[in-house]
Amino acid sequence: MTLENTHQWLLKEGEGIKVQERDYAKTGYHLEAAVSEEKILPAAHYFHDQKFFLECLTCVDYTNKPEDPHFIITYQFNRWEAVERVLLKLKVPKQINEAPSIASIIPAANWYEREVFDMYGVRFSGHPKLERLLLPLQSKIHPLLKSYTGTGDSDVRNSLELIESDQEVFDFNVPEEMKTSRKEYYLNLGPQHPSTHGVLRVLLHLDGEKIISGEPIIGYSHRAHEKMAEVHNYLQFWPNTGRLDYVGAMSYNFCYALAVEKAMGIVPSPRVEYIRVITTELNRISSHLLWLGTYLLDLGAFTPFFYAFDEREKTLDLLELCTGERLTYDYFRFGGVLNDVPQEMIDGVKKFIPEFRKRLRDYRTLITENIIFIKRTKGIGVLTLDAARDYGVTGPSLRACGIGYDLRRAEPYSIYQEFDFEIPTEREGDAYARYLVRMAEMEQSLRILEQAIARIPAGEYQSGKIPKAVPACEIYQTVESARGQFGIYLVSDGTQIPYRLKLRTPSFSNLNALGPMAKGHFVSDAVSILGSIDIVVPEIDR
Amino acid sequence: MIFPELFRMSICAAIVIGFVGINALFLVWLERKVSARIQLRHGPLYVGWQGTFQTLADAVKLLGKELVLPKQADKFLYLAAPLIVFTPALALFLVLPIGPGWIIQDLNIGMLLVFALANISFLGIFVAGWSSNNKYGVLGSMRAVAQNISYEIPLLLSVMGVILLAGTFKMTELISFQQQQGWFIWKQPLAFLIFFCSALAEANRAPFDIPEAESELVAGFHTEYSGMRFAMFFLGEYTAIFVSSAIAATLFWGGWLGPAFLPPAAWFFVKTYAIILAVIWVRWTFPRLRSDQLMAFCWKILTPAALVNLLVTAFLATWIN
Repeated sequence: MTLENTHQWLLKEGEGIKVQERDYAKTGYHLEAAVSEEKILPAAHYFHDQKFFLECLTCVDYTNKPEDPHFIITYQFNRWEAVERVLLKLKVPKQINEAPSIASIIPAANWYEREVFDMYGVRFSGHPKLERLLLPLQSKIHPLLKSYTGTGDSDVRNSLELIESDQEVFDFNVPEEMKTSRKEYYLNLGPQHPSTHGVLRVLLHLDGEKIISGEPIIGYSHRAHEKMAEVHNYLQFWPNTGRLDYVGAMSYNFCYALAVEKAMGIVPSPRVEYIRVITTELNRISSHLLWLGTYLLDLGAFTPFFYAFDEREKTLDLLELCTGERLTYDYFRFGGVLNDVPQEMIDGVKKFIPEFRKRLRDYRTLITENIIFIKRTKGIGVLTLDAARDYGVTGPSLRACGIGYDLRRAEPYSIYQEFDFEIPTEREGDAYARYLVRMAEMEQSLRILEQAIARIPAGEYQSGKIPKAVPACEIYQTVESARGQFGIYLVSDGTQIPYRLKLRTPSFSNLNALGPMAKGHFVSDAVSILGSIDIVVPEIDR
Repeated sequence: MIFPELFRMSICAAIVIGFVGINALFLVWLERKVSARIQLRHGPLYVGWQGTFQTLADAVKLLGKELVLPKQADKFLYLAAPLIVFTPALALFLVLPIGPGWIIQDLNIGMLLVFALANISFLGIFVAGWSSNNKYGVLGSMRAVAQNISYEIPLLLSVMGVILLAGTFKMTELISFQQQQGWFIWKQPLAFLIFFCSALAEANRAPFDIPEAESELVAGFHTEYSGMRFAMFFLGEYTAIFVSSAIAATLFWGGWLGPAFLPPAAWFFVKTYAIILAVIWVRWTFPRLRSDQLMAFCWKILTPAALVNLLVTAFLATWIN
């Protein structure tokens, strides 16, 4: 119904908006609209008011077209209640190179716009802080431009030399009144810190131990996966998918497989679908276990870490049997998987399920009902629904606010609609609720595993020969990773190499909400909140 | 007359220093072994039997490490801080009653001296964080001050009940009183619990290891310390654990008293190490409290409980007499 309304509104706006319906099954979009520069702010207002969230904002470079060099900026909106994906496209001619910023309306756009500026050099007028996001502040390159050819370029070396010579990279302007303040100061939490889970820097503005504001600063482990996608063929990009979120890599494999299969029209065999679900759910459990261990470590409890890693070891052993890898899985292939699942693994999973159920009960007595743990997490880092929508938060962090938005149900992919499982939600939106959601999710993953193991059919684990080239298309594919919504926006021009492959990673959006969540709490709580949103830094920086 | 006394004291000091070193090595090993058991691991295994010499090897490693002096540090205080932490813990051995006649100085004000000296260590912690001119260090120091003020009061109040009943500060008399009237743990169980909690806070042990909170403050007050300077803090911490457990054993569990099949000194060590095991067990089970939560716990629960305990004890003592 809202989709109809949206369509009507876009039509009504008339001049400046050209709307067309898209085939959802084939592309992943319901509506697409070409929007003119004047209409982008009203449109952002409309989608914000209609309770859409900004799923993704990115740019596609067409400046290599001699007759009409331009950028296309894409804004992608979606809703939690029902999947209604709307793609807005803004054409920015190369000589203008500037677009209006919607960051003041939708805070999630802040980082996305900075990323586009960083990668393409497109400026956003009215942006509160248009600085580089992933690359060092003084670098002079815009790597995702088609004209930028990559390695060996003197620009790269120059910007590296700049970083070494210029110590100001770590300086920031401390306001005059702060230099003499006896109470307020800045504290850099990271990039090297035991509790930032990777090279993340959080700039905390403190009054004593109280947080006035917190700003995450990212880019320390940026590896240009999106540029790599544009210079490798589709098959060569596989290892990269396992290196985004190395903790829950299987979901990222899954998404890439689904995206390219959707573009090529390949339907994998039922056995392949089951193998994919089994490995992904096992990996989800191992990812949640790693989070559990490190989160309790952040709170100062050492022992749960070892218990969680003991169980995680078992899941890794099982996954190793079929993938041959323990961390950065590179297991899925187009239309199939790399190896068939051995009987040993099926038996192993059968044995693992009851053992792990028992262990989950142990966690309940050790952690869930521990009074110190409850005191440290209850009421800490409350995420309101509005903030979650504004920042595009997805995954367990969102479900802890009471929204049962899980893509395995909301937008069923593969064979997830065949399984009987629940989407655990909590209402409070605090760190404790996020903890409870993840613990319950492990339980649900076990249920899916149980059913999948019992029903796995015989059959081929790979489909036949796959063409190397992907037909020209523009699609969006999304899966529920352990951290939230992972999406791939793929633009193909019919060759063997993706024209544009945008990776919409969940932690990128989730981390944005850290500032509002940490406000008013103590330094100790900042660590607790950061742990509770479960980020993996290489996935944010890509 | 003064020379034989000085000679005796020098010998005692040498024994104590030797014991403190060995005790720290043993406790670190014990802690690693016990925590490993709790955490489904084996702990150190390869250096000596069951890894007994692992901590010795670690100590040698620490000796060889570079001593870094931060440019911005207040040099005198920075260098003095580890000593300020370590020395008072060492001095406490002066009044520890290990067995009948096995006490270095049986002072009239034994218990008072314990509290007076134990409080100095925290000054060292404060000075360490402050002088190293590091934000994490200063945060750790601020927390140490807040924590010290909070736990010191219930700690003193909990012991007051015992002192009130025995009517003495003298260590040996506290024990001989228990010999006649039964151990204080039966008369003052609440006081023992309060003492135990406060002693955990005093020794900066989890769940009250707030000033060093490594997941928040990197290493808190000793972030900038390396090598043997860091080892001094470590040594001080383990000595403090030993001393507070020994005091708890003396005050509440009858010190050296026990069935005759073991010598008195053995009973003293058995009781002390049993309490230390409990301390280790607590550390590896609970998450860390936040500093404001610790203060709320100390002021809103421990202090009133200790006061009530003291009042009831005083009332009963007068009433019975």
